[in-house]
Amino acid sequence: MRATHIDQIERWAEFVRQNPNKWKKIHADFINSMLENQKRVYNELVKTEDGRKKIIMIYNIRNIDGFPSLKK
Amino acid sequence: MERETTDKNILNRFCLKFISVLSKHVEYIAVSGFVAISSGRTRGTEDIDIIIRRINLDDFKKLHKDLIKAGFVCIQSHDEEEIFEYLNNNTSIRYCLKDFPIPEIELKFEKDKLDDYQFKTKEKLPLTGLDIWFSSVNMNIAFKEELLKSSTDIEDAKYLRLVYKEKINEKEIDKIKKLIKELRL
Repeated sequence: MRATHIDQIERWAEFVRQNPNKWKKIHADFINSMLENQKRVYNELVKTEDGRKKIIMIYNIRNIDGFPSLKK
Repeated sequence: MERETTDKNILNRFCLKFISVLSKHVEYIAVSGFVAISSGRTRGTEDIDIIIRRINLDDFKKLHKDLIKAGFVCIQSHDEEEIFEYLNNNTSIRYCLKDFPIPEIELKFEKDKLDDYQFKTKEKLPLTGLDIWFSSVNMNIAFKEELLKSSTDIEDAKYLRLVYKEKINEKEIDKIKKLIKELRL
């Protein structure tokens, strides 16, 4: 682990301990932004046949019936 | 502690939705990365690992049917018997919401006395704001430091040691590490 990264983990853990009413909003924004970005990329890929093939390979999807947008 | 569905991030809401169905059918524990992330660790993930007690095919079919009714799909197959075979062979089965593969739940059966011990020492973690069962903080630290060992796992363990300072029991962690060496390495 890089020293700066350890420092960041230590600082954030202390912030969580000391700020029970503040950390969840910051944390939720962080987690949500990552998942929303993944969804944005997914929605772009699903528009093309090549993109749909990539999604099936990336996520190893074998139950294609569960993903109607991949069956276009 | 009431189960809340508001003011939660996308990952937590997804997990609560799944567990609201799962918990009606079988004893479960959320394990590994989700323990750290729901406790505030800032890192990405696409999956939530959950271990369940062993159930028979008929009971699994009921669980699967309810999951489908709630909007989930199994990524590997729609065939309940095939999915059950994965579980029985100690392979994770993956569920996500219909038509979108992220995030996903990775579900597996308990497989040895270490998993049984995880169930016996499960705990709720008020810091997470989630009214669900987790494998213990000490258990997760031991797994991450002794078995998994990737840089992400080591950082998760470091974070858990800091944020749950009062819960850390080195004797218990050592005991679990010995069990890991005996059963998994």
